[in-house]
Amino acid sequence: MSFINYSTREINCKIVYYGPGLCGKTTNLQFIYKKTMPDQKGKLISLATETERTLFFDFLPLALGDIKGFKVRFHLYTVPGQVFYAASRKLILKGVDGVVFVADSQIERMDANIESLEDLKINLNEHGFELERLPYTIQYNKRDLPNVVPVEEMNRILNPDGSPWFEAVATEGKGVFETLKDVGKQVLVELRKSY
Amino acid sequence: MTVACPKCRTKLKIPDEKVSPDGTRFRCPRCSTILLVKKRIKKAEKIRKGLVLFAHSDEELRSRGETLLKENGFEVITASDGIDAMVKAMRELPEVLLVDVALPKIYGFEVCKRIKERKETSEIKVVLIASIYDRSRYRRPPQSLYGADDYIEEPEFEEDLIPKILALREGRKEKAEERSEELPPVEHRTEPVPEEKEEISEEAPGPTPDQEIERARRLARTVISDIYLYNPQKVTETIKDGSFREAFQSQLSEGLKLYNLRISPEVRARGDFFNEEIEKFLQAKREELGL
Repeated sequence: MSFINYSTREINCKIVYYGPGLCGKTTNLQFIYKKTMPDQKGKLISLATETERTLFFDFLPLALGDIKGFKVRFHLYTVPGQVFYAASRKLILKGVDGVVFVADSQIERMDANIESLEDLKINLNEHGFELERLPYTIQYNKRDLPNVVPVEEMNRILNPDGSPWFEAVATEGKGVFETLKDVGKQVLVELRKSY
Repeated sequence: MTVACPKCRTKLKIPDEKVSPDGTRFRCPRCSTILLVKKRIKKAEKIRKGLVLFAHSDEELRSRGETLLKENGFEVITASDGIDAMVKAMRELPEVLLVDVALPKIYGFEVCKRIKERKETSEIKVVLIASIYDRSRYRRPPQSLYGADDYIEEPEFEEDLIPKILALREGRKEKAEERSEELPPVEHRTEPVPEEKEEISEEAPGPTPDQEIERARRLARTVISDIYLYNPQKVTETIKDGSFREAFQSQLSEGLKLYNLRISPEVRARGDFFNEEIEKFLQAKREELGL
């Protein structure tokens, strides 16, 4: 749920990048960080292991303009992708306003994609959320690899409800801002409904 | 044909005409065990020059490829899934196997690995067809060809097909070989291929297909594949020196904790799917490493 600070006239929204291990969640955030103007962004905080794998989360605050005189800030988080860090993922989802599910398009990772999506639904339910009612965008990452599952098949398996989806190569920044803009737009629409 | 009952070893003589192409069940007269008897797949003498096996799930693409190959003087047989492709490759021994990476039933890269692992089929030239979605989009070269001799990206199928096959026939595969040497190999898990099996059965061994069991197995597979993905070198080293379970004890127990939390006791009571999948992975890795 978005946090409104009336004294500083700020609205803070939380967007969580979810997905299986090594699917490119941190790469998304790093690209966003790299391409955002210094005055629009805070520090990118990464709690990572020595091999640069996300241990707890990455965090990036972004300023995105005003709504009715309130500054809107998006707080972007990633979760640790390895399947057994379920407790950390659940904690990070607390108070979420929007979710980006980053799927790894490689055939070998389809098991992990399905598992991660199940994990997302379970963890959201435990916080009293339903994925169907949240601003939600899917990103099919690593589309430049030759061993990818066709997009139609990925949609059939991971997106039966027809949520917005984008193809991406996060290492090159392709599809990264498209995904963020889409989920951001959905979050803002929800905000306008509430305030 | 003569078959031996796997339980009591009694030899049974069965007339060939009583065995249907898909196999026929017989009861052992001595111990009443039910046997599924299948005809042995006839082995071809050697690779059939000029024969191409084209395995792809898309009927329209299969037909386009078939026409193109025939126009260029090749004999063509087709397969629509991985099992069909394996059976036909073993039976017909084509010169070239063109196989889609995302083939149903057995993925194309697994078909490729199995074909290259079997002595009688290892000479077949395998060309993978990659599933890049749109050629105008982004791409990078494959990190691994999974043992294949070359690959074609689907949008370039028609322009690349004949030149690549001709290059392979003429032994001009240096480029592909050099490329695979330059790139670091990416290891992946495949099912172990039984040495003596002559037939590929569509019936999956083990428990009956069940969504809950599959869910349990998938979770276990994800745990082990994540452990490997994040620590490929350490996993390989500890499998070699037999200390894998000890070295990854904390991650395995975290995984098991999650498994026990997410998988119902009823499903867990039906089998130790967690350890079965871990063991399956370790076994496949040991075989890959020649242990």
